[in-house]
Amino acid sequence: MMHIDNVSAGYLDKEILKSISCKINEKDFFGVIGKNGVGKSTLLKVLCKLIKPYSGDVFVNCKNINYFSRREFAKMIAFLPQHVDTSSLSFSVFEFIAFGRYPYMNIFKIPSGKDYVVIKRIMDFLQITNLAQRKINELSGGEKQKILIAQVLAQETDIIVFDEPTSHLDIGSQNDILGILRDLNENYNKIIILTLHDLNVASEFCNKLVLLENGSICKYGTPEEVLNCVDIERVYNTEVIVKINPISHKPYVLSLSKKVEER
Amino acid sequence: MLILLIIVFLFSLVYGLNEVSFIKVLKALLGNVSTGDTVVMIIKQVRLPRTIMACIVGAGLSVSGCVFQAILKNPLADPFTLGISGGAALGVAIAFVFGFQSVTNFFVPFCAFIGMAISVIVVYLVSIRRRFSSKTMILSGVVVSYIFSSAVMLLFALSPSNSVQTAFMWLIGDFSNFDERLLPFITVVILASIIILSLFGNVINAVCFSDEKSKTFGIHIAKNITFLFFTASIITAATVSACGIIGFIGLMIPHAMRKIVGMNNVFLIPVSAFSGAFFLPLCDSLSRILFSPVSIPIGIITNMIGGFFFVCLLLKSDGTYIK
Repeated sequence: MMHIDNVSAGYLDKEILKSISCKINEKDFFGVIGKNGVGKSTLLKVLCKLIKPYSGDVFVNCKNINYFSRREFAKMIAFLPQHVDTSSLSFSVFEFIAFGRYPYMNIFKIPSGKDYVVIKRIMDFLQITNLAQRKINELSGGEKQKILIAQVLAQETDIIVFDEPTSHLDIGSQNDILGILRDLNENYNKIIILTLHDLNVASEFCNKLVLLENGSICKYGTPEEVLNCVDIERVYNTEVIVKINPISHKPYVLSLSKKVEER
Repeated sequence: MLILLIIVFLFSLVYGLNEVSFIKVLKALLGNVSTGDTVVMIIKQVRLPRTIMACIVGAGLSVSGCVFQAILKNPLADPFTLGISGGAALGVAIAFVFGFQSVTNFFVPFCAFIGMAISVIVVYLVSIRRRFSSKTMILSGVVVSYIFSSAVMLLFALSPSNSVQTAFMWLIGDFSNFDERLLPFITVVILASIIILSLFGNVINAVCFSDEKSKTFGIHIAKNITFLFFTASIITAATVSACGIIGFIGLMIPHAMRKIVGMNNVFLIPVSAFSGAFFLPLCDSLSRILFSPVSIPIGIITNMIGGFFFVCLLLKSDGTYIK
């Protein structure tokens, strides 16, 4: 469970987030949406203790995150940034996933028997055992994303934060990855927090959404509450239609190009 | 690997200004020849320490090259990227130009060491303010070395040419006039640092990631980089005090080894140490044989080989490799 209490944050003197407060409950699949540059990634970085907020606090299980050491924190929250540059890293897939076990290792960071067991189990779960000896910089985009998820899972945290886990993946890989996240959320009791650009994907997978506008929370609630025509049109400054998906009964958003409007 | 090392070691003992038979070298090493023999004297008191020094320095430069490439996240970094050479050069230039070296031989390594310590501390103080971002570290290293080298040029321009000549030889890396009394000290320092760094291979791996990612693994970036930076700098400083600035070893050996064993520093560091210990005595033998009876500074050999090595690598690679 996470509590964000009146957080303002930014880079140097450029304030990006202004007094954000919200709560992330057990079993939440929590999506953060909003325009580019509105502070979605900044919010995630604050949650992951990568940026110190100007003011306000973040609590995990009712304890302020400032009181955790990096190592303790790494056992509670795992983070997958939007871009992880692996082009110059020629580690094998197994070595690469093993980095996720660092918080559990001794000072020399030598993996123990238990670390091997955990990594093996995760590779089975994600069905990537066949990739174990491949080099990380030789994999396709979809495979690489799975390896990065495996690395994050190796930290065995209750909360996992993803910054746009499906950007530049094809829809097959995208559904594959999000299916894994849903499985983790439903069957392994992980709290998933993520940013998404695709509103329909957000609607389909998340049970809670927060819509950011100019660094503040514009709307917070279930997809049905957040994805309404009025707010979306204002925040994204474009014309949209919001309908209900006949099969999943979740809202879906269609954007209208200028030409259609004129007609 | 070990056998290769021993072969090179013996090779380096055999070849030199005076040709000595292989059997004689073995005998001299095993102590079967009377101590009055000049050949034995040459082998035991000149070539043996020199070869040991070449092995140790080769291993040290290779390992510190690996570490600097990891912490600077840049495959083109080497032990001298962060301005250590500039500081050392200034120290040496001062020692020679002001004639300190005539007081005692220890003054040259001592001055080099002081110069290096100053440059390392300057780079460290600049980097710590920017949380050890690799760009800042490289930039400050380059700037520091420019400032120091211009000071060296200034000193050289103002001083008589004979002292410049000796200082110059020293600056390109030369084994011919090192002080054997330094050998035990330098050996211990470099070997200890190499062992420590080998043990921390996995920690060095983690530093290769983006800072953000390493932090989320629970790694204290600043603490680890400080530790690695100083350990690697101590190795470099020890090698420079021994024999001046030998270029390209710290760049070439880790590169070549990375092609063979991959990027995992747990393997890369010991393998690089061995190859460096193998390669530098070989270069040293070449430096004595090529223009015999004149022995040229070893830095010329390593820079030449290194240059050709990288040209070949660039021509062969598909361009993806320097990122």
